[in-house]
Amino acid sequence: MPDDLADVYRSTYRALVRFLYRKVWDAARAEDLAQEAFARALVHKPANARGWLFVVAANMARDDARRAARERRHLTLLKSEPPASAPPSDEALHTEGEHSQVRAALEQLTPRDREVLLLWDSGLSYDEIATQTGLARGAIGTTLARARRRLVEAFEAGRTGEHVARG
Amino acid sequence: MSHVDDGALHAYLDGELSPLESQDVEAHIAQCPGCRRRLEEERALIARADELLGLAAPPDRATPPFRPGDREPPVRLWWRVRLPLAWAATVVLALGAGTYFGSRVLQREQPAADQRTSDLAATSTLAPAAAPETGATRRAAPRPVGRTRAPAAPTGVAAERKSTAKDKSAEVVVAEARPETSVALRDELAVSAVKPSLAPQPVSPAPAPALAGMVGQYALTGPPVTLDSARAFLGTDPYAVPDLPVRGIYRARLIGFSGVVVEQALDSSTVIAVITGRQAPLSLQSVVVTDAARADTVKPAERALMGRAAATPDSLAAAERKPEAAALHARGAAANRPAAALVSEVRGPLSADSLAALQRRLQPLRP
Repeated sequence: MPDDLADVYRSTYRALVRFLYRKVWDAARAEDLAQEAFARALVHKPANARGWLFVVAANMARDDARRAARERRHLTLLKSEPPASAPPSDEALHTEGEHSQVRAALEQLTPRDREVLLLWDSGLSYDEIATQTGLARGAIGTTLARARRRLVEAFEAGRTGEHVARG
Repeated sequence: MSHVDDGALHAYLDGELSPLESQDVEAHIAQCPGCRRRLEEERALIARADELLGLAAPPDRATPPFRPGDREPPVRLWWRVRLPLAWAATVVLALGAGTYFGSRVLQREQPAADQRTSDLAATSTLAPAAAPETGATRRAAPRPVGRTRAPAAPTGVAAERKSTAKDKSAEVVVAEARPETSVALRDELAVSAVKPSLAPQPVSPAPAPALAGMVGQYALTGPPVTLDSARAFLGTDPYAVPDLPVRGIYRARLIGFSGVVVEQALDSSTVIAVITGRQAPLSLQSVVVTDAARADTVKPAERALMGRAAATPDSLAAAERKPEAAALHARGAAANRPAAALVSEVRGPLSADSLAALQRRLQPLRP
């Protein structure tokens, strides 16, 4: 194992999982995909491992979503079972609600805005984001400003709507 | 200098401007109250966006150690490729053996038949494999081609009736012989499956079978892992067949499950996979696979029948129809399912009975 890749692993693994999690919304699967990305990096030995990993991870997440969509055709959606333990506390419900509200808000962004925001949140620099997305470096700040504003607006709108619905 | 646009403000706050650009922004803000106010607004916006993204972050788990031994690229388990071939071979073998044993039994049962019987027997033995019996019989019976009201007709009809009766008996014999054959074959496979260790094993605590079919059908292997990782991942020891060499341990990717696949060698050319899974708390609590009820609703005897019947093309179609029926019971199965039960299944290029025998021998894998 090359030392530099081990360094990249230490510094980037959590960020990669964080990035993947916002795409597949399943912690275990995000970790699986991150591991697989590093396994591929060992084989391919890319020059810019960090950027390469995020490109590969994005591709894998997309493929994974397609496969999941295929598999969903064999699934039947049913009401979720009641949990075996005590009902979750109000605080847990609140957290769970906010989690899905953020998810819903993220999914209202355009793919490009979302990608740039997620890459920034995963610790990539403007230069790295520009390389990965093909955007001009000067456009990253503008894109991020728009993505952040829309994320907050979509979240607040979702919350307001919920409060109205609750009466 | 003109006012600072949002992009530059964000880049400034993100620390992504060059020192020169930063100085320009700071110089402008120092003498522009509007931009100073906007700077604070954007700062708050960034903080809020970061806070929201933090709400949608994965659980903060420790980074697993980077081990070179763990990092081979995942390989497809070989029977995923070879399974269709194995099925084809099974069908051919079953038909061939049925034909062979059928002809043996037929000749033994009817030693005193007339000259035509041997011809008939030869024809009938082909029947299960190829044409329907009646068609074969008609061809075998010495029936007048131009059928008229001529005196010859009664003999022709009689001959036909006679040969039909014989063929009926032949058909029964064949029908009886074939299950015997497949049972014998299965026993042979079962013996070969347990051959590496004939010592009686204590029956392991049977893992909940509720979702066994589902786990096997949807298991995809992930990266190889160490036993330690697998144990940490499952919260317990993964299951394995005792006394069989372990060739590898992989993460299993199952819908709604955290799983581990233990790859074990039965002999030099046969590999089985032992899948151990636990329902993942996060994933897809509201999703039930339609196939999940199969293990619940099918009794062991029916299961064995399905395994045997699957060797013939007709019942392959029947087996494919099974999930539809199972879907009706999925809701009931879901209601009965204990939360986060550990499930396990053995998969491999073996008969259903051999796999079931191996399944009964599963034990927690210890170092």
